Amino acid sequence: MINNNSVKFIMAGRRKRRRRWILVTGLLAGLAFILCWTMLLLGNTIYPVNEVIRVLLGEELNGVSFAVNTIRLPRMLTGLLAGFAFGIAGNTFQTMLRNPLASPDVIGITAGSSAAAVFCILILHTSGAVVSIASVIAGLATVLLIYIFSRGRTFSIGRLILVGIGIQAMLNALISYLLLVGAQQDIPAALRWLSGSLNGSQMHELPPLSVTVLIFAPIIIMLGKHLSMLELGEQMATSLGINTDKTRILLIVSAVTMIALATATTGPIAFVAFLSGPIAKRLVGVGLSNAIPAGLVGVNLVLAGDLIGQFAFDVRYPVGIITGILGAPYLLFLLIRMNRKGDL
Amino acid sequence: MSSSTDSANSINYRFNSFAPRNFTLVLVICGVLLFVCVLASLAFGSRLVSWNELIDGLFHSNTDSYGANVVRKRVSRTVFSLFCGAALGVSGALMQAVTRNPIADPSILGVNTGASLFVVSGIAFFNISTANQFIWFALAGAAITAVFVFGIGSMGRGGATPLKLVLAGAATSAALSSLVTAIMLPRSYVMDQFRFWQVGSVGSGSWDSIITFLPFLIIGMLLGIFSASALNALALGDEMATVLGIKTSMLRLIAAVAAVLLCGATTALAGPIGFIGLLSAHAIRLMLGPDLRYIIPLSAISGAIILTISDVIGRLLGSPGELEVGVVTAFIGAPLLIILAMKLKVRSL
Amino acid sequence: MKATHVFEAENTVAGYDNEMIIQGVSLVIPSNKISVIIGANACGKSTLLKTMARLIKPASGNVTLDGRPIGKIPSKQLARVLGLLPQSPIVPEGISVADLVGRGRFPHQSLLRGWTQKDYEAVAEAMDLMDITALANQSIDELSGGQRQRVWIAMALAQQTDILFLDEPTTFLDITYQIEILDLLTDLNRKHGTTIVMVLHDINLSARYADYIFALQKGRLLAEGDPSKVITSPLVKDIFGLECTVIKDPVSGSPSVVPIGRYHVNHEISP
Repeated sequence: MINNNSVKFIMAGRRKRRRRWILVTGLLAGLAFILCWTMLLLGNTIYPVNEVIRVLLGEELNGVSFAVNTIRLPRMLTGLLAGFAFGIAGNTFQTMLRNPLASPDVIGITAGSSAAAVFCILILHTSGAVVSIASVIAGLATVLLIYIFSRGRTFSIGRLILVGIGIQAMLNALISYLLLVGAQQDIPAALRWLSGSLNGSQMHELPPLSVTVLIFAPIIIMLGKHLSMLELGEQMATSLGINTDKTRILLIVSAVTMIALATATTGPIAFVAFLSGPIAKRLVGVGLSNAIPAGLVGVNLVLAGDLIGQFAFDVRYPVGIITGILGAPYLLFLLIRMNRKGDL
Repeated sequence: MSSSTDSANSINYRFNSFAPRNFTLVLVICGVLLFVCVLASLAFGSRLVSWNELIDGLFHSNTDSYGANVVRKRVSRTVFSLFCGAALGVSGALMQAVTRNPIADPSILGVNTGASLFVVSGIAFFNISTANQFIWFALAGAAITAVFVFGIGSMGRGGATPLKLVLAGAATSAALSSLVTAIMLPRSYVMDQFRFWQVGSVGSGSWDSIITFLPFLIIGMLLGIFSASALNALALGDEMATVLGIKTSMLRLIAAVAAVLLCGATTALAGPIGFIGLLSAHAIRLMLGPDLRYIIPLSAISGAIILTISDVIGRLLGSPGELEVGVVTAFIGAPLLIILAMKLKVRSL
Repeated sequence: MKATHVFEAENTVAGYDNEMIIQGVSLVIPSNKISVIIGANACGKSTLLKTMARLIKPASGNVTLDGRPIGKIPSKQLARVLGLLPQSPIVPEGISVADLVGRGRFPHQSLLRGWTQKDYEAVAEAMDLMDITALANQSIDELSGGQRQRVWIAMALAQQTDILFLDEPTTFLDITYQIEILDLLTDLNRKHGTTIVMVLHDINLSARYADYIFALQKGRLLAEGDPSKVITSPLVKDIFGLECTVIKDPVSGSPSVVPIGRYHVNHEISP
């Protein structure tokens, strides 16, 4: 009954798509690697590669050690981890809700985590674990609120997005208020909490974020197949043997935890979560798991954005301003395309 | 189904010339609220003034107590915020009518941010410095943004649905405010006193700015009020309006010009203040129904009330400094956006 | 040949929120046959199908497969026995036909492994059967409605279940494609012995293609059995509220419903 030519034909097509996936993912990883090194080499002074390597291996070099170990390395690692977290978590929401606009930074989840982090840091003057936990709880609470408000008689993704934008506006107002009350009306702090920045990243802030990414990114990657079943709709997913409620909760908790920790560390870097998934999809093609490429695109966006912000102009711009300016045209492009196709 | 019964109902009240039932009551309520919020705006702030100081400052120009002086300063601020609120209220009501979309507001559509960006660019690159110049730059920015957002939002099937317009507005707004920040950041030493171009504030309102603002306010208001009854017909759809003898593109143009004049001029002097148009127009609609001949003028009063109260709240919350009124209005207005989104029928999204 | 199963609903009550649409239905699905559920709009056809496919949890009563309540069978295990094609499945934008069909292999795959030889064979077999192998590497966006429907059925086939549920597989299709799809499903049943249960809109096509008919009215089972026994003019009157004459389909010999309206009734021909 089985026609071997058919098998071969299908296999060939599938292998071709797979090769493209591997190639593109490899290139993205390579680019991220280059950007990481650039982050370490560039700064007020440009250090040669061998000196940086020696410092990284533990040697003490006058001047170089301080610049690399306390400024550039933490900055690079923070960007790397936050970018990966934003990218992979954004893609998870977009795929699960089947709409590129339903990313955590468009529907207000990031703003929820950000508001909690601002409250803990500026008002309660706490840091570390409390901030992380509070921002995770706030992120999940925001998800719950959006869900409750957009449930209606029949669920509609359009309503969810509108509700999310409203919640986002409220939370941003709340953040502005907290910044004022916390007597941190200075522009750097405001920019960090309203659009995200890698300025002032410190080594000791990294462990919570890295542990989170190491735990939850693999969960999301492993659930890649489940996610692609959810993409086919509730009924199809169930009849293919997915426990949709359980899967969805696991995915949401993983994604929100990553978003929350990244936000608590860098602030909500504008549009990275929103941009990464669709860009990755365009690059690697549809049908194969998009999680890893999306995470890598996130890394590249954050690192490249930060490098541009630091060195391309006379003034140093935080990464969030750069990604904000880059991301918005893409959002408009996406809207135009979706409008043309009648998807909205 | 329901939309056809809606429009059948609306024909009844859209074309009768009687005032809605509780019109007088609403007018009285608005008057009382207006009085209360003016008083509050004069009395509250980082320093609470006493009743006597209030009277002195207002009516005895020869009294020179500290409190009386504080009150005099607050008078111009209060008048300014009343005017800005009125302008934004009417502007929002007009935008809702022109786009036939309940979720329209100068800030949600990104028009305020566009105006803001133009002013900031003007200051940074063209050395503009007077209120008058600000206004013309702001008007250009508002008009271009309005056309742009509406253009993107109305592409594709179904024309300008609420969701498409809001998204186009949010995206545009995000891009433009990133640009505003990018322009302001290196010049923060110059622009420190102009922080309100990021989040609007009526704190800088002076008699000078009020006088510059006034002509735009009057022209915008008049255009808006005159187009109200034709806009009623537009609410029944373009085809119906044409059948009723209305030149829809001309009407849209006039109403849009009025809306842009009002919100552009406000933004030039007070920065981007959000959600006033949404709040004030829906408050009136809730009380008086959908007749635009009442919504448009009364949105001016409700807008004035809401903005002034928000300003008072901002001064109280931010004490000893102040919280920009734009923050307060966003916090009050965003829930309304959520409620409207919840009420929308899925089909009309 | 596909395995034989005892798949039954026992006094099942089900619905949404507080509105019970299925009000006490007991039935046994004839194994290795084609069954069709018929009934007027909103009588609970789809709800019954979804309840039996564990998409809706019954409020009371039981749905059992080989004696085990379906809610108790591990989801993935059940998905290897019972497949369902919903009425309007969602297409991920830009996905290739082969990848979509391959998603039907999910219940047979482990968490991290890619496609095995067996997966490829199952996909190829399903696509050959639906005659869409040539389209394997095309994007599904480029296909016509009839082709898409065949892709979806191929996906359900790749799942290699013994029982296949289909919720109105022929809606939105031209009559030519309707016949084509129903023929393909009959192929599947005759060649592989797959038990097929579907909801169909068209009563005459139901009568022709079904081995067994379940007639629903307002959430209750009104009649069941061989089409020639079930489809009679009193029953059609009961189910649809339609006066009709039932004649013998000149092509298949199955019953065929000819409606009687208020006009165009020629009393010289019909009594």
